Formats: sequence, C-alpha cells, structure tokens
Amino acid sequence: MKYSIQCQPSYSVLEAELSPGEQLVAEAGAMAWMSSNIKTTTSTRGGILSGLKRSMLTGESFFQNTFEAEGGPGTIGLAPGSAGDICEYELKNGELFMEKGAYLASTPDVKCDAKFDGLKGLFNEGFFVLRVTGTGTLFFNSYGDIEEIDVDGSYTLDNGYAVAWEPTLQYQLTRSKKIRAFLFSDQLLMNFVGRGKVWVQSRSPRTLSNWVHPFRPQKPRESSN
Amino acid sequence: MHIETLDRGAFSSALVKLSSGERFVSESGAMFRCSSNIEIDVTTKGSGKSGGLLGGLKRMLAGENFFFSTYTCQGEDGEVGLAPTLQGEVKVIECDGSRKIICTGGSYIGSTTGLNIDTKFQGLKGFLTGESISFVEVSGQGQLLVSAFGRIVEIDVTSALTIDTGHVVAFEDSLQYSAGKAASGWVQSFLSGEGIVLKFTGEGKVYVQSHNPSEFGSTIGPMLPERS
Repeated sequence: MKYSIQCQPSYSVLEAELSPGEQLVAEAGAMAWMSSNIKTTTSTRGGILSGLKRSMLTGESFFQNTFEAEGGPGTIGLAPGSAGDICEYELKNGELFMEKGAYLASTPDVKCDAKFDGLKGLFNEGFFVLRVTGTGTLFFNSYGDIEEIDVDGSYTLDNGYAVAWEPTLQYQLTRSKKIRAFLFSDQLLMNFVGRGKVWVQSRSPRTLSNWVHPFRPQKPRESSN
Repeated sequence: MHIETLDRGAFSSALVKLSSGERFVSESGAMFRCSSNIEIDVTTKGSGKSGGLLGGLKRMLAGENFFFSTYTCQGEDGEVGLAPTLQGEVKVIECDGSRKIICTGGSYIGSTTGLNIDTKFQGLKGFLTGESISFVEVSGQGQLLVSAFGRIVEIDVTSALTIDTGHVVAFEDSLQYSAGKAASGWVQSFLSGEGIVLKFTGEGKVYVQSHNPSEFGSTIGPMLPERS
C-alpha cells in the first residue's frame, strides 16, 4: 500500500493507493472519496460485543469499514471528523495505547480494543483507553498539531493532550509538587515514566468548547412563583 | 533561554527551552507539555510589581487569567510547551525596553522574567469598542509571547492606521488610539458591518490578527443548546 498524508497539520487527509485485493480498515464516516472499484464492507470486526465495547467504552465507531480494491488498483481518501493532524505508526506484533477517538484507519491485521485504565482513568476523561495490537500500519489523528516526543526518564503532559503512547511508558496522574500550584492550578498532569515515544496534541477540543460556552444563548429565567 | 515557535499552520505552539535555574512566566493553563525537571508554581504575581489579589483582579478585567504560572528549570536543561486555546499563530515580540507593549484582551501567553506585566485601564473607550476595560501593559527588557486567532500581521504605523475592533493583538505605547466610525457617517458605518473601529496615530508597531475571536464565538454560540 502506498499512502501519503496531505495538508498537514491543519487539514490533514490520508490518501492511500490500494493494489487489487488489498484492504484498508477505517472508522465509520472517515471516507471522503474513493475510486469506484473499491468495495466497502461494513462490520463490527469481531462481533457485536467487540463493536459495543469499542463504541461505548472508547468513543470509537460501532461499525468499522473495510475497503478493498477490486479488479484493479484504487485510491481512497480518509479524513477525520475534526481539523488536525494525522500520524502513522508501524506495528510489528506490537502494541500502542491511544486516547479515546484517536483511531482513524489501519491495515486489516491491526486490532483495536478497549483497555480498562483503572481509577486513574477517572480523571483522564474516561475509564478506558484504546489498545491497538497486531502487525501492520496504523493511522491516528487528533485535533491540533501532533508532535512526537522521545521520553527517556520522564515527561509531563497536561491532561487531555496525550494522543498515543508506547507500552514501555507508564503514566501517573499528578499535580504540581508546590502546594500553591496544587491548590490554585486547575491543571491535572500526566507524568509519563520509562523509555519510549509519546505523541502530544497542541490544542484541546475541551478547552475550545469551554471557550465557546459563554457565547451560548442564555436560558430564560423562570419566575419563582 | 530560547523560545522556539513551532509554526504549524492553524495549530502553532511555542516550545521554551530553559537551562538550569532559568525561569519563564505564562498565564495559568497555557502549559500543555514540559520536561519533568520543570517546577511549576502558580501565583498572582508573575514577574512584575503588580501582584497580589488586586493585580489578579485587574488582570481579569483585561481578559486574562487571575493566576500566573511560573516555570523554574531545575538540574539539567528543560523545556515548556505553551499553546493558546484557539486556532492560530503564536509570536515572540522582542522588547528592548524603549517602548512598552500593550496587549489587548487575552493575547498575552507568556514572558521572560525581565518583563513587567501590569494592566492599563482603558475606561469607556475600551468598553465601547468591545475590547476589554483594561489592557495588559508589558514593560522592561525581554521576550514576550503572544497568540492570535488566525495569522499575525506586523504593521509599522508611520502616521495613522484604522483597525477593526477585535483584530488588534498588541501595539507599542508610542501609538495613541481613539474609537471612531468606519465610514463617513454613523448610518453608513453601521450598515458597513464594521461599526466602531480603532484609529491609531503616531509612530510604532501594531500587531493585527486576521480573524476576530468574538465573531467566531457568536457564529457558533447560537447553534449550541442554551446554557442554564
């Protein structure tokens, strides 16, 4: 499969050329354009339970689409729902953790599952993270620009800005050590420890929606009697 | 100390590289990544004289945060990544101390410790123009980090320049400004959709943003469910 990621990072789109018989899996709704000889198969990929787990626990789509070029080569363009960056990652019988909603597409031998993240997940926007395993190419996306950081020792990210991290890294939720910062800062931090890569996004959709909040119309006040 | 701006189209951010013992100040909440040898402290006093409760309250009137975050690098070299909320560019303004820089509502992100961060009351003029009641006033020598919604355009004003309200990021205090109408008459001015504009006179630099944040907010806001 030949592919290119275009218009990075503001309006990233993934364009892939499939040879006859070659397959690409993507989250539902990601397809923007494709050649007419590409066949789409919609399935839960692993049964209803797997689909339910994926959609209810990790915010991914219940169904996933498998695209296959028939009779000749075909081209497909995939784009995430929001403006932002796309990254590729090669898995060789490997494993990668991702935040909810970060999965965009992969070759068919890559599996996407929910992993219980323990109580620390409570503060990390949900109890579950995405666990991706297998062999092949994975594409993930987020709102904002994505930067890759090589961690050797430890590195700190603001909560909600981690897109993906390698399993050789453990993370803990922390606050600043200083007592004043603990009391007054609204920031909960993710501290990654170990040796591996972590991908960070430069904008947060949550912060943006907080910014828009005051522009929402005000509900008329009901009289008390 | 070195501020690297990662120019990434709509989603630019800044990476501040610090050596041991160096400090950097930002508005609280702007940090999204840092090496773990950075100590974060949150106070009402950044690097200027105007700290304390009053300083914090005055900053809120200027559309900024009540608190500052101070980052101190301990041990080996470290880095702090800072990003604004909205899509757009970040820019480093070099301050040589000869002129003060005035930042309008919310554009201040961070500064080196040599800069004084204060607020300047704008009064009725600020209120009428839809800007905030006071602006952030930056004096001293150092580097100032600002953000904008969209692109930042730097314009050298030699005599006069008209800028629509909501598009000013920062300007040198050698410039004076007044509120005025966009067209010749008030009716045309209103019909033109521009309403009140800012008229700058004098000599100095002004930094303009390509898009108007509150216009963006009022485009999306009405499509959202009512807030209680």
